[in-house]
Amino acid sequence: MEAAFPQLCILGASAVLLAAIIPLWRRHVPAYIVAFQWQSFALAFVTALVGYMAHIRELYIVAALIVAIRGMLFVRLLRKLQARVGEITELKPLVNIPTSLLIAATLVVIAYAATRPAVLVASSPTRGAMPLAIAVILVSMFTVASRKTAIGQVIGFLMLENGIALLSAVASYGVPLTVELGLFLDALLGFLVMQILVFHIHDAFDTTDVEQLSRLKH
Amino acid sequence: MILVILLIGSPLAAAAVAVLARPYRRALGVVTAVLSTASLGAALFAWARVLREGTFTAASGGFRFDPLAVLLTVCVAFVSALAAWMSPLIGSREEYTDAQLRMLGILVNVFVAGMLVAVTVNNLAIMWVAIESTTMASALLVAIPRTKASVEASWKYLLIGAVGIALAFAGTVLSYVDVRQQLGPVPSALHWDAVVAAAPSMHPQVLRLAFVFILVGYGTKAGIAPMHTWLPDAHSEAPASISALMSGVLLAVSTYAVMRWKAVVDVALGGALYSNRLLLTFGFLSLLVAAFSLVVQRSYKRMLAYSSVEHSGLIWLGLGLGPAGTFAAMLHVANHAIGKSMLFLLAGRILQRYGTTDLRRVSGLLTAMPATAVLFAAGLFALIGAPPFGLFVSEIRLVAAGFATGRTLLTIGVLALLVVAFVGMLRALNHMLFGPVPDEVTVGEARASEVWPALVCIGLLVALGLGVPAPLHALLVAVAEGR
Repeated sequence: MEAAFPQLCILGASAVLLAAIIPLWRRHVPAYIVAFQWQSFALAFVTALVGYMAHIRELYIVAALIVAIRGMLFVRLLRKLQARVGEITELKPLVNIPTSLLIAATLVVIAYAATRPAVLVASSPTRGAMPLAIAVILVSMFTVASRKTAIGQVIGFLMLENGIALLSAVASYGVPLTVELGLFLDALLGFLVMQILVFHIHDAFDTTDVEQLSRLKH
Repeated sequence: MILVILLIGSPLAAAAVAVLARPYRRALGVVTAVLSTASLGAALFAWARVLREGTFTAASGGFRFDPLAVLLTVCVAFVSALAAWMSPLIGSREEYTDAQLRMLGILVNVFVAGMLVAVTVNNLAIMWVAIESTTMASALLVAIPRTKASVEASWKYLLIGAVGIALAFAGTVLSYVDVRQQLGPVPSALHWDAVVAAAPSMHPQVLRLAFVFILVGYGTKAGIAPMHTWLPDAHSEAPASISALMSGVLLAVSTYAVMRWKAVVDVALGGALYSNRLLLTFGFLSLLVAAFSLVVQRSYKRMLAYSSVEHSGLIWLGLGLGPAGTFAAMLHVANHAIGKSMLFLLAGRILQRYGTTDLRRVSGLLTAMPATAVLFAAGLFALIGAPPFGLFVSEIRLVAAGFATGRTLLTIGVLALLVVAFVGMLRALNHMLFGPVPDEVTVGEARASEVWPALVCIGLLVALGLGVPAPLHALLVAVAEGR
């Protein structure tokens, strides 16, 4: 049974990565939100698993917080935001779907190549999931850069935060609660400020299609 | 303890006053200005103390004042006092509504407090949180004018800044994992001194990866190319006093975070070659992008913003050139903080009078606003590195450090790009100062008394150009030697 835990961890981390790729092949904004919700659940699963393996009770609290704040509160806020600004579909993504998926695949390969030296020296039993966490971070960055709807970009940012939370869970094999709380604070603050700005954009432009925001070119 | 309360508590108190008092009154602006001056006083006191007794800690080890921290603290406190005395909170209020001024009063103080915490706190995670909070506060500040352009600039800045700062966190976590393996799960594993002490036994492979994340992450906030794309928008759309803070010191605060990590990485890798190469590459790229963007600029505020990219690049170049380069880079941080913040504040006055940031529609400044024009011209000359101003000295030292470390080709490239930037900015200045005053612009300097803080800045820049004063010299030597 003990031997199966690292495998389960990698499975959970793969689910997080899979969820990060969904915004790249769906154009439906509600689907982004569902993907983010499932990603948060998968992240909570990995965190709880690490807590069980390393016998750190605090990590159960962290996992519960992830479900409550990221999986439920943020999702509710995102749905409200979406209803208010009325974004349903990503009309013209910057990069088409096949290319996006190819880029995502390349980013995963890069993540594996870049983390190889670090994985070799790491001592935590969950180190196998580190490249997946880095891949989530890189893919989410690409999502932020290639989405044109404001909500798509916000979700990219939130997924990036999930990737970092995953990295801190699997790389350090139980981060201190303070670091986890710092991450929550960051995601929460970032999200709230972004929400305010989405409303400002909506008021100023009558749309949240970021393509309309092209007044500031050089 | 009293020092920390005075230094960081003052802006927080000013923020609290701005929250509690409504509606907005001019007296609140004066409160902010007085408290920021108190904060500056505390910073100067810390400077004297660090020279007398070396690195000291405050609030039972929570805050650490070493020469580098003190240098940045003084710069931040100085620019925030300057911005407070020249801000729309006290001066002319016709531009903003009372609600906007109230938001400005709250957020600007939170912003300043965040920067002061970032440079003095002894905990690398809290430093990160503080820098993150400056992103949030300043992004909201950029959006205060509520114009389409400012909201858009704010969105771009927030998004790119949040991604950048998240990458810096990923780098922090990666290296923290390694520190924790050395020290065990103790709370002090996040203290700078503990991390530096553990550095020799850390894994170079992990730190190499972590440092790239940190460099790209904090580099995004420091306005380093190719992550600089948010900067010209945010810096040119923000209210003038915010541009001054963002350009004058926020960029330097992010660079400070990079310097802290560089010290750790250099010890762990047994040499500075790896970090120096990265810093030189990013620095040169920034200089390259900025120099050519300066030539084609059509807005004077965007011109100043690109000049910040240029100077951030120069500072990173200096950091990659050994102790002599670091000395020059830190001198440059101080010079740039004074010069650039003054210019943004003056640019705000010009914008108010001409109602446009378009260079082609600003002419005859010497006739329309003689005092502002002369100060603006002097500041711009300082910024392009002309004598007798401080930036001339720091750039000469930087170039000398480049030749001394054998990076001849690179240094020649830097000199060529400085000339390109020089030509671009001089051309713009020429157009602004002379020619006819547009019909709709009133002639004559209203409230010339408002420019006195700019006069102080020019005085300081000239003083720094004539020679580095002994207390500053001692501080910079200590920073360069990594004491």
